[in-house]
Amino acid sequence: MSAALPIPVIQLLQVLTVALGAPAVTGVIARVEARMQGRRGPRLAQPYYDLAKLLRKEALAPRRASLFFLAAPVIAVAAYLTIPLLIPVLTSYGLPLGYMGDILGGGFLLALASFVAAVAALETGSPYAQLGASRAKTFSAITEPVVLFVTFTVALLTSTDLPYVMAGTIRSSAGSYVRPAHLLASAALFMVILHETGRIPVETHSGTNEFGMIEEARSFEHSGPYLALLKYGSMLKQFILFALLADVFVVPWGLASTQSLPDVVIAVAALLVKACVIGVVVAVIDNSFAKLRLFKITEYVAAAFLLVVVGVITVYGGGA
Amino acid sequence: MGVGGAPGVYGDAADVAAALMLLLEFGLLRQALIRDQVRLYAAQSALISVLAIVIAADRNLPELYALAGLSAALKVVAVPWVVRRLLLRPRAPGWRAGEEAPGVAGSYTLNVASAVLASIALAAFGFFSFGSFHVSASTAPVTALALAGAMVFVAFGLMIVRRDVASQAIGFFSLENAISLAALVLAAGMPLILETAFLFDLLVAVVVFGMLIRAHHAKAESMSTADLTRLRG
Repeated sequence: MSAALPIPVIQLLQVLTVALGAPAVTGVIARVEARMQGRRGPRLAQPYYDLAKLLRKEALAPRRASLFFLAAPVIAVAAYLTIPLLIPVLTSYGLPLGYMGDILGGGFLLALASFVAAVAALETGSPYAQLGASRAKTFSAITEPVVLFVTFTVALLTSTDLPYVMAGTIRSSAGSYVRPAHLLASAALFMVILHETGRIPVETHSGTNEFGMIEEARSFEHSGPYLALLKYGSMLKQFILFALLADVFVVPWGLASTQSLPDVVIAVAALLVKACVIGVVVAVIDNSFAKLRLFKITEYVAAAFLLVVVGVITVYGGGA
Repeated sequence: MGVGGAPGVYGDAADVAAALMLLLEFGLLRQALIRDQVRLYAAQSALISVLAIVIAADRNLPELYALAGLSAALKVVAVPWVVRRLLLRPRAPGWRAGEEAPGVAGSYTLNVASAVLASIALAAFGFFSFGSFHVSASTAPVTALALAGAMVFVAFGLMIVRRDVASQAIGFFSLENAISLAALVLAAGMPLILETAFLFDLLVAVVVFGMLIRAHHAKAESMSTADLTRLRG
């Protein structure tokens, strides 16, 4: 066995993988999407260049905005970078800080990040930013029941709400993988992720049409490094949600089960591959469906809710 | 949840098939076009056949393979074909050749999201009431039975919520699917002749419904059953 990495290093690597890998996944999605539309597409590293460019630019703030307007992007990114400590990113065993919070803890951090971004948008007084913030809050309120029921599913299947235990349960047998509750909850979570990352069928990711915008509109008034942080935050959020879906629900394999260096390196590579595969699926969906009208989003969320509710009630039917 | 020999996987596969059938039932509830409804119905019927094959493999009941084949031939191919012929290429007076059948999109009595939420409540009711029967059939996946119960209720809900004859007919056919599902998981060893009789019963229902739909359309020049309300005593 080669050198074992100390636990704190692995813990740090979880954060670094997310922090450095997130723009790459965004780049892969943009590239695949462009290829499917017959364009050559941006290079894979383009998101890094975009961020670097924005970081060098001048930052402006609306005259009446308070300090919070500038603090919000920083708080959001800090919240997003805390989440990788709580979920299985690289290891199948819980790291010391991994039990600091459960699935709800991760959910709270995601909600906090989105909340500060919304408050910052309200600070600006710009109609589009406010509209985006208001819509983002409205729609995240209606997706909340779905997230809750996904948590219920985890709780019913594992008697805990720890993501590590859920992943372990799924790895344990084929039977617990094909169980309807698990499959339906995974499908519902995927639909929520499409919603949360602002993808078709909920939101056009790269459009300039304000009418359909939800989260994209929130950052209209930010500029320079602050805009870079907001954009980086949404990349982080996307990567975290993909990692959550892959490592906890759909493919919790390929995680390091020891502390040895090769294992951890394989886990980093596996995570990036998994996130890119999910990204490709998302790009395919992006290219094959139309955006829903804003008021049809409730129907989309109702469908996700249906999936997860059916999943939860099947747990009770087993007579078990 | 597989009882008996095969631990888990077969029983779970049956549960997944049943859960997918329930979801397709919800799809029927939401779907706006008759053509798509017929497609969903065919998919649902195909799942019944898959389920029959799973159960046949699980419990070593070779005649279920025959049933699966027959059911697929009838419900995946024949019934949708007949329904399409009756609805989409009708030669009744008032329908010109090649003209698309009237839509059923606006026939909701509730809006779609509320209809789905109401049906979730119905499904939960059906699920728990069937689940509380404590049927201990030899190898029945209890979850699949309870899901069949939920499907029965959602199918009824579909027929109530949609105010057009075509959706109501499809709802009725899918009700038959739900009952087949219950029969399969409860009494998989039911004599083949009985199952076949049910299938042909369905075919009769299809023809009768087809006649009714066409008669209604010829009279009312719409698929909507709203006109029938004033016939109430």
